[in-house]
Amino acid sequence: MANWQESMPSTRAYIMNKVLYELHHKPDDLSAYQKDADAYLARFNMPQDLADCIKNNDVARMYLSGVNPYLLRAHCIGVRIPEDESLAALRSLLTHEEYNNG
Amino acid sequence: MAEITGIYTASHTPVMLNFPDRIPADLRDEIFGAYRAMGDDFMRGKPDALIVLSNDHLHNFFLDNFPAFCFGCAESYESPIEHWLHAKRRTFAGDQAFGAYLLQSALEADFDPSFSMEMVLDHGSLTPLELAGVDPALPIVPVLFNCVQPPMPTMRRSHALGRFLGDALRAYDGVERVAVLATGGISHDIATPRMGMVNEEFDRTLLDLLEAGEPDAVLNHATDFVHTAGNGCEEIRMWMAAMGIAAGAPFKRTYYKAVNDWYTGIGIGRFEV
Repeated sequence: MANWQESMPSTRAYIMNKVLYELHHKPDDLSAYQKDADAYLARFNMPQDLADCIKNNDVARMYLSGVNPYLLRAHCIGVRIPEDESLAALRSLLTHEEYNNG
Repeated sequence: MAEITGIYTASHTPVMLNFPDRIPADLRDEIFGAYRAMGDDFMRGKPDALIVLSNDHLHNFFLDNFPAFCFGCAESYESPIEHWLHAKRRTFAGDQAFGAYLLQSALEADFDPSFSMEMVLDHGSLTPLELAGVDPALPIVPVLFNCVQPPMPTMRRSHALGRFLGDALRAYDGVERVAVLATGGISHDIATPRMGMVNEEFDRTLLDLLEAGEPDAVLNHATDFVHTAGNGCEEIRMWMAAMGIAAGAPFKRTYYKAVNDWYTGIGIGRFEV
């Protein structure tokens, strides 16, 4: 049982953290993302699977990537993913083998 | 020499402001009433300044440079920083001289906090202050702990910082009366599969041990079992610091309820200094 997927962020997690952080803290980033998600995500030169799970609002896969949960939570609210939808996606991982509390 | 008029502990969660209707209205009123009662008690002490022990939720700090502890040394603090938080924008007065005194004293006491002269406070500070009805004109000094990104300072180090803060606050001659609000916890998970599954047993044991006046047992419980109570429970580092500031003063819980639909064990209490 653990509170965190990663005790020290991997570089993959760091990149995703950076995207979610900048998206919700730099003045024009959220509108740029909403206008053209692919173009926005291309700025970060990130692995395609990470870009895909952000673009597709794949909350479960973002969590398993090791992203900081606080940044994930803020992102879910900030891009208006329905509360029950994000909660269900997370709950679906309770018995997932990659979830370190499963 | 400043008198400590009160040391308060209280949970915080943005859900209280963003999704208040996810719980029944009578329960919500009961919880908000408990915060107002804390605020009323706080006001009776007539403090000249307030030390806010809280944490930044990756808004002011990012993984390019993340302090274990950060002391606020600004003249004012805007809040909130979250564009998505349903809260009135406000500016809290800061006690810059008090913050600078605590920073210098901490360094002389072999702690190594960072400092900030420009922070925009997030819900972790704003929510309990707003719900308690604290006047934004009351000068504050935020002291922020890393509770949101491992590796983090230990529970014992947080308690030790609190012991230092208690001594430093009492020795300060810049104000006559100062209050402390330690905010965070208790059991909750943020954006994990356990979100909404509050570990009530952890919380009640923590509160029991605090009321029993057993600091070592509190620290052992916090250290050994926080991993069972959620990533948000890491915020009890501020409760450990409050216990250090209290220096043996008795603790009394004033409210507790495990509120799964707000994802949080809502705990409020005070050390009776």
